[in-house]
Amino acid sequence: MKFFNARMNASQHNTEPPPLATTGPNPAPSSCPKGTAAAARPIWRRLQALPALAGIILVAILLSPHASDGSNIFLETGNLTDILRQVSVIGIIAVAMTFVILTAGIDLSVGSILALSTTVVAMALTRWSPPVGDAGHIALAIGAALAAGAAVGALNGVVVSGANIQPFVVTLATMIGVRGLAKRLTDNANIDIGFGRDVAAVFADFINQKAVIIGSLLVMAAVFWLILDRTVFGRYVRAVGDNERAARYTGLPIARVKIWVYTLSGLLSALAGVIYAAENHQGNPNAGIAYELDAIAAVVIGGTSLMGGKGSVSGTLVGTLILGILTNILRLNNVDSNVEMMVKAVIILVAVAVMAGRKAE
Amino acid sequence: MSKRALKFLIVTQLGLLTACHSSKSGPANEARQYFVAFSQCNNAEPYRAAQNALMTKLWAQHTDVKFVISDAGQDDNKQIAQIETFIREKPDLLIVAPNERAPLTEVMGKAVQAGIPVICLERDILEPNYTTYIAADNRAIGRMAAQFIVDYLTKKYGRPQGNVVQIRGLLGVEGEIDRNDGAHEVFARYPDIKIVHDAVADWIQAKAKDRMVEALRANPHIDVVYAHNDPMAIGAYLAARELGREHEMIFVGVDGLGGPNGGIKKVMDGVLAATFVYPLCVDKAVEVGNQILRDPNFKPDKIYTLHSTMITPQNAAEAYKQFTFAE
Repeated sequence: MKFFNARMNASQHNTEPPPLATTGPNPAPSSCPKGTAAAARPIWRRLQALPALAGIILVAILLSPHASDGSNIFLETGNLTDILRQVSVIGIIAVAMTFVILTAGIDLSVGSILALSTTVVAMALTRWSPPVGDAGHIALAIGAALAAGAAVGALNGVVVSGANIQPFVVTLATMIGVRGLAKRLTDNANIDIGFGRDVAAVFADFINQKAVIIGSLLVMAAVFWLILDRTVFGRYVRAVGDNERAARYTGLPIARVKIWVYTLSGLLSALAGVIYAAENHQGNPNAGIAYELDAIAAVVIGGTSLMGGKGSVSGTLVGTLILGILTNILRLNNVDSNVEMMVKAVIILVAVAVMAGRKAE
Repeated sequence: MSKRALKFLIVTQLGLLTACHSSKSGPANEARQYFVAFSQCNNAEPYRAAQNALMTKLWAQHTDVKFVISDAGQDDNKQIAQIETFIREKPDLLIVAPNERAPLTEVMGKAVQAGIPVICLERDILEPNYTTYIAADNRAIGRMAAQFIVDYLTKKYGRPQGNVVQIRGLLGVEGEIDRNDGAHEVFARYPDIKIVHDAVADWIQAKAKDRMVEALRANPHIDVVYAHNDPMAIGAYLAARELGREHEMIFVGVDGLGGPNGGIKKVMDGVLAATFVYPLCVDKAVEVGNQILRDPNFKPDKIYTLHSTMITPQNAAEAYKQFTFAE
């Protein structure tokens, strides 16, 4: 409860909750517990998964096969950037999922939103001809996809905060419904964003570059880290997950926080979908199945607690990297992809056990 | 570092070491070792499992070849990532069975650019990003199947008329498109032969069973089910049998695999009225692949087209012996 005392001290006569996404002044952390005042917590506390990442990188280097000229294949720039590119889609979803899980919620519909986004962007690029140039057409198509994702996310948020239904159930329903919508839009067919000179090809060629894809992940991670650590809204997100009842008594705008959090999750899933469509040259209503599980795994390995209130965007990035490097080193050694899944499962369990142990210390 | 984090690291390291070392091959030798990588799109389909088995068997005959198969589980993104990783390992030959045309085109181009010989197996991509493409003529299969159906209906009713249910595979695959278009070329000439239900079951038997139940409920009378592969035809048969209507119609599939679970046996058992042997393309792939590996001057044809045979109860027993490989 100390967190809320600190906030009250800082704005004693202010009964109206401050607006959401502004950068508010940090209250003097005189009696704030470790988990809440960002300035007081040293960086190695926040990046709990960092030793694990270092360990995995070390093992990857040791176990990497060697090219005919003796060089370490894992450490090749091409391979390292491959890994970053391969984790970007899940990584972007995981960044927003961090926020959702920090509020002690969950979003199972991210994979379906990704699929919807790929179909919307593919349809907008191939079946629609607005009277604007190529760049404008691409911008409108991406905008449409992002809007669709944000709309679904907002719907999730409204139902979670309004009706008294658990996020698991709400997003489970959306997961199924949105998948159906995506399939209905294209009659369960895929829409090829082909090769050639049309606007769809321009879109695919531009977005499907390592720099753009990895850049998107890093930009989203930076933006969301800023929001979480440096804005009042970020504090509210943690507060709602940490202790919702106390947050309600303090007068925090819980409904608005939740709606925003799920909207952002939908928005980023849609962004991931736009990238997926460009990477695969295809709008695919069956894309993204089980992606929510990969995203949640990345968030959890990164140290975010499913109980809410505790976690970080940087942790999620580290978790995503751990999974990506793991997959890469197993593939470089031609380990059967089914064994790959079993190894992933063990890593997830061990990571969570370690985090739980940490919390008790 | 805390005790727990240390424990985590140790467990992780042990796990990775076990997983990686259990799949490492034998002792290094002075003779030239060839590394052949095969990116399979989906091990779960019986046709592809047969491809894998035959491919492994044929490459094992060459002791200087290390042969590896990766399974993408029908996931385009996974297959792209797996091929990218193979490219890093610089194989002497890369064989790819692409999951879908558009997503895989670019990464196979990257493999070609990296100087790796690429064999595109059985399914086409949008651009010729390969050294050679080995496939069967799916359009001809579509035409043969449709002609068989026309002949059957003409015999049944005295004229070419009837209700046909079509069950299709993954729509993004050229083979699927060809099996559909080839059949429609023939059906278009007979306006009284109607496609009353057209469903997509992604090559999977379980999905086909569900789609067929819907078709059975929607149509009181069906004469023929034309499924674009045998597992889907079998799924349709199971659905019809559950509703007691399996004698109302005949089932036609494609693949014609040997062995006790294949389509040929189903024709012998009377489940399928006909199937069409869809060549595994593996014999040709290994033959051409070997030449690519060993003969630096060998220039393969850009496309090798293989032909199909129709299997009916008349020739099924003979075909079964021919197409069933000893394990």
